[in-house]
Amino acid sequence: MAESMEVNEVGPSMHGVHPTVTVTEAGPPVRNAQAQAVALPAPEAFPETFPETFPETFSDEPLTQPDAQPRARRWAARVGKGERWIARMLRTGAVMSGGMFVASLALELLPRDESVHVAIDLLRKGAASMLLVTPVARLAMAGTLLGLRGEWRYTAIAAGVLALLALAVGAGFQA
Amino acid sequence: MAGGLGALLGIGGGIVLVPLLVLGFDIPLEQAVPASLMCVVANSCAAAASYVENKLSDLRLGLTLELATVMGAIVGGLVAAFVAEAMVAVVFGLFTLFVSLQMLLLRAPLQEPVTTTDYVPVNYPLGISGSFVAGGLSALLGVGGGPLKVPLMSYGMRVPFKVASATSNLMVGVTGAASVAAYAWRGHLNLGLVAPLVVGVLAGASVGSRLMPKVPTAVLKKLFAAVLLLVAGQMLWKGGEGLWPSLWK
Repeated sequence: MAESMEVNEVGPSMHGVHPTVTVTEAGPPVRNAQAQAVALPAPEAFPETFPETFPETFSDEPLTQPDAQPRARRWAARVGKGERWIARMLRTGAVMSGGMFVASLALELLPRDESVHVAIDLLRKGAASMLLVTPVARLAMAGTLLGLRGEWRYTAIAAGVLALLALAVGAGFQA
Repeated sequence: MAGGLGALLGIGGGIVLVPLLVLGFDIPLEQAVPASLMCVVANSCAAAASYVENKLSDLRLGLTLELATVMGAIVGGLVAAFVAEAMVAVVFGLFTLFVSLQMLLLRAPLQEPVTTTDYVPVNYPLGISGSFVAGGLSALLGVGGGPLKVPLMSYGMRVPFKVASATSNLMVGVTGAASVAAYAWRGHLNLGLVAPLVVGVLAGASVGSRLMPKVPTAVLKKLFAAVLLLVAGQMLWKGGEGLWPSLWK
């Protein structure tokens, strides 16, 4: 038999499975596996046994978790999750700051005394600070999330924008 | 109304608020501008949350153009003392007038992408340099970059109009926050004035951001063109005020 294919018991050539994958669930490792190597006929000789050959290139998907989502789907899910986090942060900032401003307006209806005046002042300062910090935090979060996805260029850009803003505010410019 | 309009068009809403506060309520300009900027930030936060969630805002494009805008704003702040503000206002007014008339009169200057995800921004050098100019104008004239950046992204970079508007909305928050911080540092931020305005703008932005995906792009463009006409009028008035006395002399 001139055309033959080497297959061993440790790495049996199964349809749809990468040949380098070791199926550990099949039992304890076979001892002296090299010694048990047998020669099988070429797939062309038995088309019903080997309906098709392996593809030329294999996906780099991990095969150790059969139920794992494909990488592209996981990637899209992670991207969506990151954007949801940004949206959640922006909404939280806007709602909390709006709520504090509303509370300060409601307090104005109460009879004016020192404690009410202090509470109104505190609420408004807190609301304004939260509102101003929210877009800057969004910028930092977007940069971090894009960096975690491997897009370091955007992390660098976000860091640059933050540095320039700090410089502008520190110098008193109206950036 | 300012919140709704700002959220729909990505221009922040300051362009409506400042004249309203100054002319309608006799608020001094030095208090009206930071209060309006605070509303721009509130509008950006509320509307951008919805746009980011619906994938209407392009985070990458926003970050890239944001860097150019901030750099432009710093340069604008540095050269403000050497540039005739009135002349810049007239040039910007003429430019916005041209863009608004083009949007109003030309039927379809460019083919709009079919969906808001099916596009690739082109012409980055134009976008970056335009954002730099927008940042500079923002520092020189006190206008947000939105009226310049939305047409720039939409016509210059072939970004769908709604994405351009949503991305501009995301960007104006950061530059607005920096500007407000600078005003607050100098003690020009009147929180008693800001409180009711922000509450109203947040409500308007919430409605506007829900409406925007449903409104046809053609309607948004016409609305944007109308607002640009208002901006052009304001800028030409501002420039004229500065230029006419010198012309008379």
